[in-house]
Amino acid sequence: MSAPGSTTSVTGLVARRLLQLPFIVLAVYTITFVLAWSVPGNPLENPDGRRPPAEIVEAMKKQYKLDDPVAFYFDYLGKASGVSWALGRHDRPFDLGPSLKQPDWSVNEILATGLPVSMTLGLSAMLIAVAIGITAGTIGGLRPGSPVDACTQVLAIAGISLPSFVIGSGLLMLFAVKLGMFPVGGWGGIRYVLLPAFTLSLPFAAYISRLIRFGMIEEMGADHIRTARAKGLPRWKVAFKHALKNAFLPVLSYLGPATAVALTGSFVVEKVFAVPGIGQNFVDGVLGKDITLVMGVVLVYSTLMVVFNLAVDVMYRFVDPRIA
Amino acid sequence: MVLALLGALSLDTPLPAADLILIERSDCYTLDPQRMSYQHELRRARVIYETLVNLRAADCAIVPGVAERWELSEDRRTFVFHLRDDARWSNGDPVTSADFVYAWRRAILPDSAADYSALFFAIEGARAFHDERTAALQRFTEAAARGEPVDARALWRETEESFRRTVAVETPDPRTLVVRLKAPLAYFLDLCAFPCFAPVHPPTVERYVSFDRATGRLVQRHDWTKPGRIVTNGAYVPTVWRYKRDMRLELNPHYWNRAEVRAKSVECRTIENPNTGVLSFQSGGADWLTDLGPEYKTEMLAERKAYLARFRADIDAGLERGQTEDDAVGALPPPGPGERRDVRGFDAFGTDFFSFNCRPALADGRPNPFHDARARRAFALAVDKQELVDRVTRLGERVTGTLVPPGSIPDYPVVEGLGFDPARARAELKAAGWEDRDGDGIVENAKGERFPTVDILYSTASPRYQNLALAMRDMWKRELRVAAECRGKDSKLYKEDLKKGSFMIARGGWYGDYGDPTTWLDLQRAGNGNNDRGYLNPEFDRRMDEAEAETDPVRRLARLAEVERWLFTEEMPLMPICNYVTVYMYDPSRLGGIAEHPRLEQDISILERRDGVLPAAPAQESLR
Repeated sequence: MSAPGSTTSVTGLVARRLLQLPFIVLAVYTITFVLAWSVPGNPLENPDGRRPPAEIVEAMKKQYKLDDPVAFYFDYLGKASGVSWALGRHDRPFDLGPSLKQPDWSVNEILATGLPVSMTLGLSAMLIAVAIGITAGTIGGLRPGSPVDACTQVLAIAGISLPSFVIGSGLLMLFAVKLGMFPVGGWGGIRYVLLPAFTLSLPFAAYISRLIRFGMIEEMGADHIRTARAKGLPRWKVAFKHALKNAFLPVLSYLGPATAVALTGSFVVEKVFAVPGIGQNFVDGVLGKDITLVMGVVLVYSTLMVVFNLAVDVMYRFVDPRIA
Repeated sequence: MVLALLGALSLDTPLPAADLILIERSDCYTLDPQRMSYQHELRRARVIYETLVNLRAADCAIVPGVAERWELSEDRRTFVFHLRDDARWSNGDPVTSADFVYAWRRAILPDSAADYSALFFAIEGARAFHDERTAALQRFTEAAARGEPVDARALWRETEESFRRTVAVETPDPRTLVVRLKAPLAYFLDLCAFPCFAPVHPPTVERYVSFDRATGRLVQRHDWTKPGRIVTNGAYVPTVWRYKRDMRLELNPHYWNRAEVRAKSVECRTIENPNTGVLSFQSGGADWLTDLGPEYKTEMLAERKAYLARFRADIDAGLERGQTEDDAVGALPPPGPGERRDVRGFDAFGTDFFSFNCRPALADGRPNPFHDARARRAFALAVDKQELVDRVTRLGERVTGTLVPPGSIPDYPVVEGLGFDPARARAELKAAGWEDRDGDGIVENAKGERFPTVDILYSTASPRYQNLALAMRDMWKRELRVAAECRGKDSKLYKEDLKKGSFMIARGGWYGDYGDPTTWLDLQRAGNGNNDRGYLNPEFDRRMDEAEAETDPVRRLARLAEVERWLFTEEMPLMPICNYVTVYMYDPSRLGGIAEHPRLEQDISILERRDGVLPAAPAQESLR
């Protein structure tokens, strides 16, 4: 912890992080490129039989620069970053290229249709996770060792350890098929979001509830809490006004990466609930060696991830000014 | 944040209910008819675009499409198609013969990388034009790389000129199309019904054409296929397309045959997860699930069997009256517990097989025992296909010894291949020089070398092939006393090994493209891009050429059948196992119009919701 005088301003932090951003994204781009390029297979071929003549495949490889990794690396980077556009060599900025497997769709279009869906799902899941996690954690933390606490702990462990395709399929069978309360799959309106968002939220809710519980137990035994109690403040007021605020700090630092994971790691849930998000496209892209799609999704997600972490750091400063 | 989420959700509402809802396993990769190659894409293309002639789903007969009539010249090489007066694009423009020529040129051009460009090489000059353009592009690329001045547009103008000069398709007037073939082709009309031969609307497509400066290639951006821009000439126009989510088709108001289109709107949903697809169908979310995926479909088919068994007599009576199986089953009382009628398996126009590597040497340089046809026959004879189907694949597949599915091509005789005959298998292997000479239970050749461990390659995309490979390994061990190893690989790596010839026996499979045995038999020709087996036999190519030269269509098919019989009793480049089974999910009391013809060319525009009310059986009336 540094002295109060050396604390940089929030603007300084944001400016520094934004300067770092291109370098972080470039590193991610390079590593992904090497991995994606070394995957065997040819994206221009169909998996189930029909093969275009060899000379056509060669010509297409040339057109997409798939015959030359170095040329592809710089060409794609220039087009995706907007540098080629700024230099007048390309007609659009931020062009993530055509999808090699889906000729009718550019990567930009695929992201434009899938990303809002994945974001909505991921953020809804985080909201649910925070709500459940804080409630369960507080109840348990205020009465450690009680039957209620034991119940929430068991549920938390179940939430962390059960894979989402098991929970998702179970919820689908119960609420959508048996009870008919929700549609089985698809997207479009709040009825479609609740089940997948709840499924996706469970591991995060479980982790948050454990963080809050430990924080509450620790806080409730702290000196300032005892002082507050001694002043005659009611127990619930002390718990919510003083203890929870501090117990929430570790949750806040967990939320940044967790949100990123919820956004990127939702493809299992997307698959179970037939949610038309970006996760499924990404998995298909990796499996089919659709290198432009993979690179485009990774570029956008890594940028998002840096921005989310930055947002959490900024929030942290407002909650706890000691952090520099 | 909460408000933003609610806002995003309220904007994203489901579409109004369509007259017909389909669930597909995957979305269309493209709506460009010249670039399509997947079955579900082609199925959708058949109702978005209309070709010169149509395949009638019920019997795969050729019926008029955009062309109302056509003539074939005396030498059977020139077709004259007369286009109907009222054929219209969805924007009201007339469909002209030039639209067909434009679309076909796109398919032939090497620039487009059309999977099916080879189908067009039946047209006189098409191959030459394709090769000429390929060479010109090659020269262009080299010149551009050397820094010489090049002009892609000038090259394109030359290409257009060369197409007019070389390729024998002519448009004497907007309603006449004259096509000259390089040689008589019995199934050319069948090809003309294939969606890759569909026209496109040139003004719409041309807006998104540009030229690559480095290679001179014509670059087609596919923005034209998006709803709002796309112009079609078939029964429907796509009005909504959200990728990997749904596509909505609405009746094309200008389609000449719109009175015959049953569902005025169709929603095609994409649900990739097989379980979710089934649950969605069962909760009443759709009329037809086009590809039933889960492993438990075996149990579902057994429940159908139980239901059919209970009403066997009623169904047989219905069939006798001329009803289809669907009509007969749909009229029965609803299924009881442990029974169902909303699932049905069809023998598909596809064959599951294992390929023998026929090259003289293996990829690692060792001599290949399967270069000898006797060894290939021995291995094929030692496999009990019925047992594989009954105990391993378990979908009630029809076992086969040949490639062309029986009954799928009119006038093509049923060809018998080799069956299960372990004694003859051992004799064949002995004739090939392999027998157990020292009594150790392993076969050796005259030099005392053991039969190499057979390397069975399969893709791990589905457990089906692993199970088949393991079962066959045991059969070969039991019947032939050879050891085999199963090598499962991810589908990409499997594909690479297949291409390199790095296998002894490998999983294969093929679906026919058009209604002629050559769509199957050509796989064995030298130089065919899908001849994974490396089977190079001038004798086969000669027999094929001779059979195809036969001018009488029925005699031609008989001669091709003779070639197929020879191929699968003598040569055995691959070992057919069974015909694929396609499993649909639909309730025949609620959906009518599913075709039962073995080619399974379903026509979405004739599918119709029945809502439990069945039409009276037409055959019953005619009996009175």
